[in-house]
Amino acid sequence: MLSRVADAVYWMGRYLERSENITRLLLVTEDFSTETQGLAEQVAQSAWKDLLAIFPAAQVAPPVSAFAPMSQGYLVGFFLDPSNPYSVHYSLRKARENARSVREALTVEAFLAINETFRALDGYARRGLTDPPALRDALGSTHKGLFATIGAIEHTFTRDESWLFLKLGESLERTYRTALVLRAKLPALGAAEPRADVALYYTQWRTLLRALGSLENYRRSYGARLEPELVVPFLLFDPHSPRSLRYGTDAVKTYLERIPGEPGPALRLVGRLHAELAYHDGLVAAGGEQAAFLDRVVDVMIQAHDALGTQYFAT
Amino acid sequence: MKWVPDTTAYDETFDRAAAARPHYRPLVATLESFTQAEIDRRERLQKISLVDQGITFTVYGEKDGIERIFPFDFVPRIIPAREWERIEAGLVQRVRALNLFISDVYQDQRCLKDGVIPPELVLSRREYKRELLRVTPPRQIYTHVVGTDIIRNDRGEYLILEDNCRCPSGVSYVLENRNLLHRVFPEFFTRYPVRPIREYPRLLLDTLLWAAPRASENPVAVVLTPGIHNSAYFEHSFLAREMGAFLVQGRDLIVEDSYVYMRTTGGRQRVDVIYRRVDEDFLDPLTFRRDSLLGVPGLVNVYREGNVAIANAPGAGVADDKAVYAYMPALIKYYLGEEALIGQVPTYVGLRKDDFAYMREHLAELVVKTTGDSGGYNMLMGPFAAKKEIEAYLAQMKKAPGSYVAQPLIELSSHPTYVGGRFEPRRIDLRPFILYGETIRVLPGGLTRVALREGSYVVNSSQGGGSKDTWVLAPRGS
Repeated sequence: MLSRVADAVYWMGRYLERSENITRLLLVTEDFSTETQGLAEQVAQSAWKDLLAIFPAAQVAPPVSAFAPMSQGYLVGFFLDPSNPYSVHYSLRKARENARSVREALTVEAFLAINETFRALDGYARRGLTDPPALRDALGSTHKGLFATIGAIEHTFTRDESWLFLKLGESLERTYRTALVLRAKLPALGAAEPRADVALYYTQWRTLLRALGSLENYRRSYGARLEPELVVPFLLFDPHSPRSLRYGTDAVKTYLERIPGEPGPALRLVGRLHAELAYHDGLVAAGGEQAAFLDRVVDVMIQAHDALGTQYFAT
Repeated sequence: MKWVPDTTAYDETFDRAAAARPHYRPLVATLESFTQAEIDRRERLQKISLVDQGITFTVYGEKDGIERIFPFDFVPRIIPAREWERIEAGLVQRVRALNLFISDVYQDQRCLKDGVIPPELVLSRREYKRELLRVTPPRQIYTHVVGTDIIRNDRGEYLILEDNCRCPSGVSYVLENRNLLHRVFPEFFTRYPVRPIREYPRLLLDTLLWAAPRASENPVAVVLTPGIHNSAYFEHSFLAREMGAFLVQGRDLIVEDSYVYMRTTGGRQRVDVIYRRVDEDFLDPLTFRRDSLLGVPGLVNVYREGNVAIANAPGAGVADDKAVYAYMPALIKYYLGEEALIGQVPTYVGLRKDDFAYMREHLAELVVKTTGDSGGYNMLMGPFAAKKEIEAYLAQMKKAPGSYVAQPLIELSSHPTYVGGRFEPRRIDLRPFILYGETIRVLPGGLTRVALREGSYVVNSSQGGGSKDTWVLAPRGS
């Protein structure tokens, strides 16, 4: 396929995944901060501040007024602000621009879904929503629109190279972002003492699972027990849950393997990481090695991204 | 339901006595069976559908919201079978002559030597590409896709207004308009034998592949677009998708050893036919405009070697010049020995002294156009222009009389159009699309453009025009 088109669908996949990620994180964090801000304002604050570590170059405007709920500035900034490079608006706009620039390579259904979802989102931005319930409602609709788009892609695309590059972008973005979420949240969570406030402690762990779209999947494996010694390995090594690092790395590796032609450096990098995640000894899940390991996952994804560009997009 | 027949122009739908013409009667009856509320509901449905599908064009020079939908009017324009037969024959004749003319201009230039058309009028044009003299395109076809604009005067006669031999656009709207009308007003179709148009992309692909230099293997055809910011980008991607062809930009192509390749994830792949939707001046910075970033360096050389077909061929623009137009009846006679089957608008050519003198004296009655521009830019509508405007325009004209042509104002025919909750007469034209492959084929119908502003004659999409679905009826008993 054309290198330019491969590049565009790859980015479309990344931006779509990123849009869904931000949307989910906003919904979950809003829930959490509403629930906890009266109990422990610091904890609620830091949940929002974590977003700035997960999306490092994000720009968020200060809250609209001193009386506004603390979530408002973050919600507006990460949802609707067209100039924040990590807002849903920005990401979905980019996904649509990429889609529009290679419309001939997409199915009509996929394009319609992404176009409609973006147009609705742009409508919220133009109306200048600031009221948290209205923002929540709009976030919920956007989330559905994104799932409709992803569903249209799954159901209508032929499994050719376009699809592979799209899925590659999606799975690479997902793995990369999951590692960043864990990197931002785990150190503080791991250091917290359960005895201080048991309810809050478990709310935080539950929120982490929800933030990574994994709460229900976790329960299917371990039931309602919420133990850090189970949650962390689940998010790192579970072979079936689509947002574990192992699953994500496996997906990146599989799509890379299916691209016709000689395998390149990206596959070697990701393949080695995948082996570690699949044949782990459990040590990295705990304590001191955790942060370094997560940093390495982030690093491998960045390097794989660069290698893809060299091998396929700049021919 | 209130109908307002047009009293100044030829009304497509109603005769002088305000009765519906026979071929419009079922449509008028169907529309009258709807309530106003129902019609408004359908119209809203149609607008939402256009926006959701992203059927848009880009307006140059507008900062905000540059993607706009091309307004669609749901009242279809209907052409009876017998009228279409004549139009079709006339178009086939015209395109054959156009192609022979271009071929002649780049080979022996007989028509110039025989005095059929003044040489300076052809050879001094920017559209005449001296670099391509004696280069023969595959199968000697220059004009693979032609869009010829046709209007009707106040007597209802069809007249050719201009030919587009470079990259005529609009065909995607023809196809999408039909889809849209199917969905929004399926009732319209129950009482008419409307000729289908869906096979256009297949015919276009056939036309392109017919020109492929290596016919034996599996030739590769691509659509070359300037990119997403071009006003017709929607159409480029639409046609590529419908044909199953690659949509490429200049930077996707590369020339090596007299062949054109595209850059793919698996390396380089040879290209045989380029359906270029890039202006020819931007095709190849080594031959034409050096500052072009849209083109492919060396492409024209490959074309010269006969290793790639370009549709339409570079240099074909020499034939759709507004001054050459004035000589078309003579050229048809010269090449084919036939009288032109469709008439055209009397045209004064600034290059001819007598004509220019007439133009100066009668500017207030004339429509004046420059020979290079298209899209309704830089023209003077004498009858509607203020005196100052006319004077300023005349001052411009005097600097280069040869680049102006003038025509009397034709009262374009009008057609009921749904505007602001009412059916009102609006001016229309017609752009049929003609494909020159193994044979010359005309897509039944074409793009009917409508001037949505009351009293306006300007139908271009960039100037506030919209479009209609265009029906050609199948002959009775077929």
